[in-house]
Amino acid sequence: MKILQSSEINRMEELEKIPDPSRRRFFQLAGGMAGAGLLFSACHPVTKPTDIYLGSGDIALLNFLYVLEQMEADFYTKAVTGLYLGISSNEHLALVDVRDQEIGHREYIKSLLGTTNASAPVITNFSNVNFADRTSVLTNASVLEDLVIAGFNGAAGLFTNTSYPLSFLKLVSVEGRHSAYFRDALSHNNFADTTVVDINGLNQSMTPSVVLASAQQFLTSRFDSSNLP
Amino acid sequence: MDLRNILSEIGKTDPEVYEKLSGRRQVLKNFGSKVAVAALPLAVASMFSKAYGKTTSAIIDALNFALELEYLEFNFYHEANNVTSLGLIPAADQPGFLAIEAHEKAHVNFLITTITALGGTPFKPNHYSDATSAPPYIPAAYDFRASSNTVYTPLFANVFNDYPTFLIAAQTFEDSHIRAVNGQMSNWAGNAVFAQMQQLLATEGRHAAFIRLIRRNLGAVTAPEVPAPWITNNIPPSFPVGSTVTSGNIVLQPFYNGEDNTVQSGIDISTLTDSGSPTGYVPQLSASAAFDEPLTQTAYSLLIAPFILP
Repeated sequence: MKILQSSEINRMEELEKIPDPSRRRFFQLAGGMAGAGLLFSACHPVTKPTDIYLGSGDIALLNFLYVLEQMEADFYTKAVTGLYLGISSNEHLALVDVRDQEIGHREYIKSLLGTTNASAPVITNFSNVNFADRTSVLTNASVLEDLVIAGFNGAAGLFTNTSYPLSFLKLVSVEGRHSAYFRDALSHNNFADTTVVDINGLNQSMTPSVVLASAQQFLTSRFDSSNLP
Repeated sequence: MDLRNILSEIGKTDPEVYEKLSGRRQVLKNFGSKVAVAALPLAVASMFSKAYGKTTSAIIDALNFALELEYLEFNFYHEANNVTSLGLIPAADQPGFLAIEAHEKAHVNFLITTITALGGTPFKPNHYSDATSAPPYIPAAYDFRASSNTVYTPLFANVFNDYPTFLIAAQTFEDSHIRAVNGQMSNWAGNAVFAQMQQLLATEGRHAAFIRLIRRNLGAVTAPEVPAPWITNNIPPSFPVGSTVTSGNIVLQPFYNGEDNTVQSGIDISTLTDSGSPTGYVPQLSASAAFDEPLTQTAYSLLIAPFILP
């Protein structure tokens, strides 16, 4: 096998950071180079050309949060489009309100990213949700909300530029309100049980990669998160 | 990343940003011409941490303020759950209020541990060492009826005998507690404490939603403003129809002033596109509800003063 020069490895690392079209060309190129192609696939077995590249550093973290908010906004958009059977007027109002709040969060984070840095829109997959059934909608809503809160908490300490977490901390307590609402509507008093609040009274936190892996159950899109902190 | 945009956005909320960065002005001028693009994120981060990096004492002072608020909340729920006449909290809602009390106690202990670990001295409420105290329960330190309130004396006359009054007080404390901690977060920027306090805020958000939901489900006679689980505009809880405190809003309004803000980091959320909304934009009410707004320590200390005994 050909041993790559360090300059070639650097070049590969640079190419790894480039979003889709150029990367696809690189893959074709790499595939044509017998030895290098083998080496590359050994290093990056899970990355496919169609994966959405999240970027690196702070941009990757913001894109990760953007993925989460897109997922929530899409879920509530579907829930409002086909309301579950027997929905009360109060629950209907709350569902529409949460949809609009999540769209606000999604568009806000997209604005923080700017058009250059925002990753491609995600394609969601809610085939396991029965939108006609109240229990299914409320259960999945609370799963989504809890996951998103854990993701925001896990990302908060990883930013290089501390002005970013300051710009979205104000929405995290609101996501806590959303989760508590759906949990309590499902089962009264269950708004903050021990599965989401620890012995210090702190809401769950999970690393971005763990959250992304779990979020995959609601997403058709796959991600290149190789540079996600 | 466009640094000038970031500075401009910060400038809108902190007009002194350029002064804080003074001395690094030359560095700023060099951006875009002499500094390599790859070096930008690190250089920017270091510039901000110099401008906004907080001393350990500022971190500890802010944690002590948070601790003061947790003591107040713990004592409020402990009193309601354990000390007052039986039957204040209906059996159906009791598990929730016991969970909240346990969380507030855990927050007190967490903050004491954290402050001590950072080399600070944890805040102690007045009367901490009284014979009637069993910390964190310090009954002599608080008057939750707010007898010293000047508009209604007391404001919450039956706070531990009347469930609707108790819920109004609880909602006010939870919502404004979030706002007050929110206002301290910049003190913890760049420190590990930041993420933990954000976790704490998410728990408090859960508490607030639970209490608001109970009030909403009690109906428009008991909770005339019919609250959502989140704060809609700057609307405070209203007292029940026929209550002697008919204009409690006047007293509780300051706890909610500023909550109707819709501008975040210079971006007006109500101008962002929303294909589900009839107007095509995020509705103003949702834009205000989607974010909890900060209160300063000075403002909040004045608001809770009537509940604290000398």
